Amino acid sequence: MRHPLRRITSVLASAALVLPLAAACGFGSDAGLVIYSGRNEGLVKPILEKLEKHLGTDVEVRYGTSAELSAQLLEEGSKTKADLFLSQDAGALGALAGKGRLDKLPQPTLDKVDAKFRGGGGDWVGVSGRVRVLAYHPASVPKPPNSVRDLVRPEWKGKIGYAPTNASFQAFVTGMRVLDGDAATRAWLKGLKANGVKAYDNNIAVLDAVDKGEVGLGLINHYYWYERVAEKGEAKVTAKLHYLPGADPGALINVAGVGVLKGAKHHAAALKAVDYLLAEEAQTYFSDETKEYPLASGVTSTVPGLPPLDSLKSPEIDLGRLESLEQTLAMLREAGMV
Amino acid sequence: MTDLRIEGLTKAYGPDATVLDGLDLTVPSGSLAAVLGPSGCGKTTLLRVVAGFLRADAGTVTVGGRVLTGPGTHVPPERRRVGIVPQEGALFPHLSVARNVAFGLTDRSTRRRRAEEMLDLVGLSGYGDRMPHELSGGQQQRIALARALAPEPALVLLDEPFNALDSALRAGVRADVRAALRAIGATALLVTHDQQEALSTADLVAVVRDGRIAQCGTPQDVYGRPADPWVAGFVGDAVLLPASAANGTAETPLGTIELSKPAASPAGTVILRPEQLRLTDPGEAGPAGTVTDVRYYGHDAMVTVAVDGLDAPVDIRVSGEVRLRLGDRTGIHVTGRGTPH
Amino acid sequence: MATATTRAPRILLGPACLAGALALLPLGYLAVRALERGPGFAWSVMTTEGTAQLLGRSLALAAAVVAACLVLGISLAWLTVRTALPGGRAWSVAVTLPLAVPSYVAAFAWLSAVPGLSGFTGSAVALTLVSYPYVYLPVAAALRGIDPAQEEASRSLGVGPSRTFLRVVLPQLRPAAAGGALLVALYVLSDFGAVSLMRYDTFTRGIYTSYQASFDRTPAAALSVVLVAMTVGLVALETRTRGRRGHARTGTGTARPAVPARLGRWTAPALAWAAAVFAAAVAFPLGTLGYWLATGNRSTWDPAGLFGTALTTLGVAAAGAALTTVLALPVGVVAARHRGRAAGLLEQAAYAGHALPGITVALSMVFFAVRYATPLYQELPLLVCAYAVLFLPLAVAATRAAVLQSPPVLEDVARSLGRGPLNVLRTVTVPLAAPGVAAGAALTFVVCMKELPATLLLRPTGMDTLATRLWTETGVASYADAAPYAAALILLAAVPSYLLGRKR
Repeated sequence: MRHPLRRITSVLASAALVLPLAAACGFGSDAGLVIYSGRNEGLVKPILEKLEKHLGTDVEVRYGTSAELSAQLLEEGSKTKADLFLSQDAGALGALAGKGRLDKLPQPTLDKVDAKFRGGGGDWVGVSGRVRVLAYHPASVPKPPNSVRDLVRPEWKGKIGYAPTNASFQAFVTGMRVLDGDAATRAWLKGLKANGVKAYDNNIAVLDAVDKGEVGLGLINHYYWYERVAEKGEAKVTAKLHYLPGADPGALINVAGVGVLKGAKHHAAALKAVDYLLAEEAQTYFSDETKEYPLASGVTSTVPGLPPLDSLKSPEIDLGRLESLEQTLAMLREAGMV
Repeated sequence: MTDLRIEGLTKAYGPDATVLDGLDLTVPSGSLAAVLGPSGCGKTTLLRVVAGFLRADAGTVTVGGRVLTGPGTHVPPERRRVGIVPQEGALFPHLSVARNVAFGLTDRSTRRRRAEEMLDLVGLSGYGDRMPHELSGGQQQRIALARALAPEPALVLLDEPFNALDSALRAGVRADVRAALRAIGATALLVTHDQQEALSTADLVAVVRDGRIAQCGTPQDVYGRPADPWVAGFVGDAVLLPASAANGTAETPLGTIELSKPAASPAGTVILRPEQLRLTDPGEAGPAGTVTDVRYYGHDAMVTVAVDGLDAPVDIRVSGEVRLRLGDRTGIHVTGRGTPH
Repeated sequence: MATATTRAPRILLGPACLAGALALLPLGYLAVRALERGPGFAWSVMTTEGTAQLLGRSLALAAAVVAACLVLGISLAWLTVRTALPGGRAWSVAVTLPLAVPSYVAAFAWLSAVPGLSGFTGSAVALTLVSYPYVYLPVAAALRGIDPAQEEASRSLGVGPSRTFLRVVLPQLRPAAAGGALLVALYVLSDFGAVSLMRYDTFTRGIYTSYQASFDRTPAAALSVVLVAMTVGLVALETRTRGRRGHARTGTGTARPAVPARLGRWTAPALAWAAAVFAAAVAFPLGTLGYWLATGNRSTWDPAGLFGTALTTLGVAAAGAALTTVLALPVGVVAARHRGRAAGLLEQAAYAGHALPGITVALSMVFFAVRYATPLYQELPLLVCAYAVLFLPLAVAATRAAVLQSPPVLEDVARSLGRGPLNVLRTVTVPLAAPGVAAGAALTFVVCMKELPATLLLRPTGMDTLATRLWTETGVASYADAAPYAAALILLAAVPSYLLGRKR
């Protein structure tokens, strides 16, 4: 039976020669702007196509996870082809800024976004925001607590759902460590675990569980609920949202953001792109598509029922510092959560 | 001239594993020498060193005056002009018979004709388009010879080439190989552990023991005048008699025996072949004994006799019919000369 | 004593060393990164209690998967090669097909059907079902090569069939099974897709987490060094099981084919066993994909895009397989034909990076390409090189086994007929080993098609393979949109897998 294998070898060999050449013709053209995107292609591709028209130049995009792309950017150093980094969360941007890989943005650009939602050194800026909230089942929990710190109380035993592997949850725990200190956070995590908190794969599963009344309370990001409502209608969604007041650690607002790489070849186009992402068209697109908050001043979300961003009291934290996830993970592991 | 000269060849695989121990051997041009020895004596290593597959630790190999292996010299196998016929032929299974034979031929214009000539030489013309697995064992072996001879090597090495053949086929293939080698006048080295094969095929027999040549000579020499009892026993059946020698004769339990050469010392051993002994009437004067075993082979038979006054029994080859039975008494008569040791 | 020459000729050693050097690139990178903050820091990362725990969990998973793969692989090989299993030939193809299923797809299918099946058990099930062909293929080949006369001798000495299998057949299968087991173990150690979906914390997942959690490459590199050490240990262990035996057949011609054992009343259970494995490993994930295709509300259906992506995938995978095979050839020949330190080190080098997660290998390629081969960076040749680094051992193992199958005396004869070493390689060694080498190429082709992490980092900007497309679609949790890509990937990868299974 050596013949079919021989044939496949010759097919392989010729394909190996021809196809990559053919394929290569479609790529690697000289672009006017190169973006590394940690946000999913399905989400950002349409708006980046509009950006391409707006800039009047070719835009090339590499997709990956924010963490992997930031590791790649650090490895590439000054030789990177990237001009712009679009990140899913502030931590990856903070890591790049910490290694001096991001250029300072012009003040007018920075001024479009509240200082809370941009890098301390003015080297990156938030594009859209997501708020940590408590989803609750109104029938079983008529009055949800006003602080996550209360969740360790006996009255909530067995009634809480969360997604411990979710990056947003972990960012929230990191924020809590910054606000309350490691000892208090560790105690809180252990208390939560002892209180029989139920683990789910992701925020959607947590919301499902609250909706069905499997648990009374769920720790999620706000937009999952609004997406659900947009999909099914508010009448068919049992779960309600509770925004925690008083700058509670559980009310953390994290952002997806953007930064310009130091030494970017297409520096001017990159700055124009940042401005575009903070302009109304892009901001509305993100808020409509993801139900996240638009962060540029003067743009308000059209999502029905969404409380205005400035009405929310989120804790004062430098979001760039949320990169120190390592100890958070160690803590979660210690508490037996991941 | 393509004579093979091997001098002081030494090869060890480790401090306690000396395989060739200063071996010397000369094979005249155009003759076929058999290297005969038990397994592990170093004969395969010798062949691989001569072929260039192994490097020698010391010593030289010269073919037709050209040094192939020597101090600071190691000609790679492909430049030695030394052909090899391995055990079981080792034909390339992915090539046709003709392409196997033509494998070593570089001249494209004459390649085809030469391959056909070679097939003709080994009596297999017309088999060129077959694949090796379509041939019998004997045919494969002859193709392997044709392949080795095609590039007109200075020397041909045959590595137990008839081993895998059944005995009926063996004699025929052996004769064909010998005829083919003679026809082109090639110098050849045949490695074997089969003494019959060595004696019947070769012009010269070199008996190897422990990495050295124990004896080298014509088949008649080696068989008729073995250098020592070990060689005698290895190349055939031997009768060993304690003897005291003087003036070209020796006194033994079987009487006085003429020696083929002067004895080195007065007390020693005399080596005879079983066919030098005759059974005689037990009534006659002279040595006698009791029959302890009879083995019948068809063309002859071997009778074992416990001789009066001798510890070890002796073997006597008898042609024709054997009338003796176990326990019968018989007389013994010695013909020809004995070899002293 | 029966090898061609003890020292490898320079003409082979040169290219082999080149391949070895390429395979060692990731190690060079790890050394640079791990020692960035001094050996003390690296040491402290390597020796935390957490590291030890992850190591233990990874090894436990690898042990469980290897054990299960040995049971599946050997039993199925015996059933398809040596018994009169109804439809034997078709089965030998069917049980090879799981090669085509990416571990993350298998894990996903299982999770969606049995949500409770996560953690250790889930990871072990998913990984076993996709990796047992690594044991099945070499063991089936070895079974075909064993002379049935040995088993007949054993039976005639009063040893029953099952004890004959244990005492005569199994010991001879050991090198083949150990080679397969090594590949399975390294596969498990390097896997990220299945364990992350199953939420089982392994060493590789720890390395990913380290990139994700701290955006810091130093601890990840230090952890990777531990993984390399583990790999070297496993490879040494496997080398020991080979012993010093030559594997080329010494008898005349080919072995007489064995008379298939009659299964009798065991026919039904044997069929059920083979069918169950096939169902769990192939039919089930395909069925799950079919369910998503049928029930999901696809946002867009883009057959042209799917076709283009499939074509790109085939192209880069073919290029990866071709380069890997060419690089593996000298290493495999040296490993099969020559003993000595150089040959041993070369083979070790080929394996050294095999347990590293794709992302580490990819980052090392980034590191070197950005510095020393800037024009190649984020171009196809670099991606193809990364495939070669990742999958060199698969091709080396196949080549080595194939070369061992043909007796070295053929090469000696060719040399004595006036052909130089390179010529002998081209006209004798390679043609004879061709079926085995082609099988290695087919295997490499399959794994290149499925590769994700390195492809994500190193692909030319804008290029998509089926695997990256699948990743994008599952990223927005649209399984219905992901299903066509997953199905196309499995079906395309099934073609070379099919040829591997058909090989007799």
